[in-house]
Amino acid sequence: MMQQQSNHDEKFKEIVEKFVELKNTSELMIDLAYSSLLLNSKELAEGVYKLEEYVDKLHTEYELAVLSSKFKEEEAKGILGLIRLGVVTEEIADAAAEIAEVVLREIEPHPVMKLVIEEADETATYVRVSEGSPLVNKTLKEARIQEETGMQVLAIKRGDRYLRPKPDLMINIGDVIIASGFAEGEENLKKLASPSGLEESSRAE
Amino acid sequence: MPEFEKVEYKPKPVREILLEMKNLSELMIDLAYSAALFNDKELAEEVLELEKKVDTLAYLLDMTIMIAARNAEDAEALAGVAKVAGATDKISDAAADIATIVKQNIGIHPIVTKIFEQAEEHIARARVDEKSVMVGKKIGKLNLTAKIGVDIIAIRRGRDWIVKPSDDEKILADDILIARGTPLGISKFRDIAEGKIKRIVGVKDDATAK
Repeated sequence: MMQQQSNHDEKFKEIVEKFVELKNTSELMIDLAYSSLLLNSKELAEGVYKLEEYVDKLHTEYELAVLSSKFKEEEAKGILGLIRLGVVTEEIADAAAEIAEVVLREIEPHPVMKLVIEEADETATYVRVSEGSPLVNKTLKEARIQEETGMQVLAIKRGDRYLRPKPDLMINIGDVIIASGFAEGEENLKKLASPSGLEESSRAE
Repeated sequence: MPEFEKVEYKPKPVREILLEMKNLSELMIDLAYSAALFNDKELAEEVLELEKKVDTLAYLLDMTIMIAARNAEDAEALAGVAKVAGATDKISDAAADIATIVKQNIGIHPIVTKIFEQAEEHIARARVDEKSVMVGKKIGKLNLTAKIGVDIIAIRRGRDWIVKPSDDEKILADDILIARGTPLGISKFRDIAEGKIKRIVGVKDDATAK
């Protein structure tokens, strides 16, 4: 009986983990989708599309985890709630992909679109963090990327995963920082991500 | 049958309408998940109110786009705007669907709520009582972020919404504040808004104090 209870709790931990990943990814997709639009960046828009496939896979895993939780009849309502929450989260991801689609179709963004997201003339940039960079093993909060370079971090790409830029997220070697800002900031961010760091660097990587 | 508002055209820049839709829909997502995870019916109601507002804006945007397009070129460019607005409206619909899980008393499994209570920040709403020390103060001056770890993410004033209010925004009696923070911070925040805590350390009651 005790064993059963602990299996039950383990299962729910798994459900929550999958749900959090699903929710974070779909919210990240919205951020990236609007950014791809503003920056007219096909690369970002493609990233959103890839994430959509990831969300589909994740959603299936989540539903399976929920349905295999061996719930009792009186728990059915709460299980239904979890299933619906997953469905809606996937709808949000789909909507983000639709926004990215506008960019991928090469519809030249209407000028008002750029005004909506305000900061025009910026670009999206992808910078890999190399070994020896002062950013390694710092949290985003400690790294002060925006203060140092003026670049706003949109996401961190780690392997195939995209992570939301939360302040306590630790930067690893090999992470790709996706950020938006002006050309000068881009150069500084590249330096910051290289072994030389920002100060004494004479060459950008 | 629910009542639907007839939407009348009034001139408003496309930029403003789309920006408002984007901001409101993003707020709705935050509120909706919090409502579902912590089974908060009041928050769910706010989401459903916001949904109506976004729907109205979507109509207004459609009309504005129709008037703006004068030739094929305009139509091509504006089709993208319409598509984005449609997706934004879809996001707000999704948030409303999440709120409906709460409203229909389906709820989510209590074990999940329990796990989230330990891990996640909470979002809560509170009505500002006329006796609250918050009344007439600017958000920046209250400095709730530093004092109790709570951020005011939106204000509802009657039917108007102020999303991501600036530090200069003054809080009025009867404002509905939407705030994010730790469970402890949120409970203090509620007491302050409702006038149960009369004094926030470091915030002078005296209006002339700097």
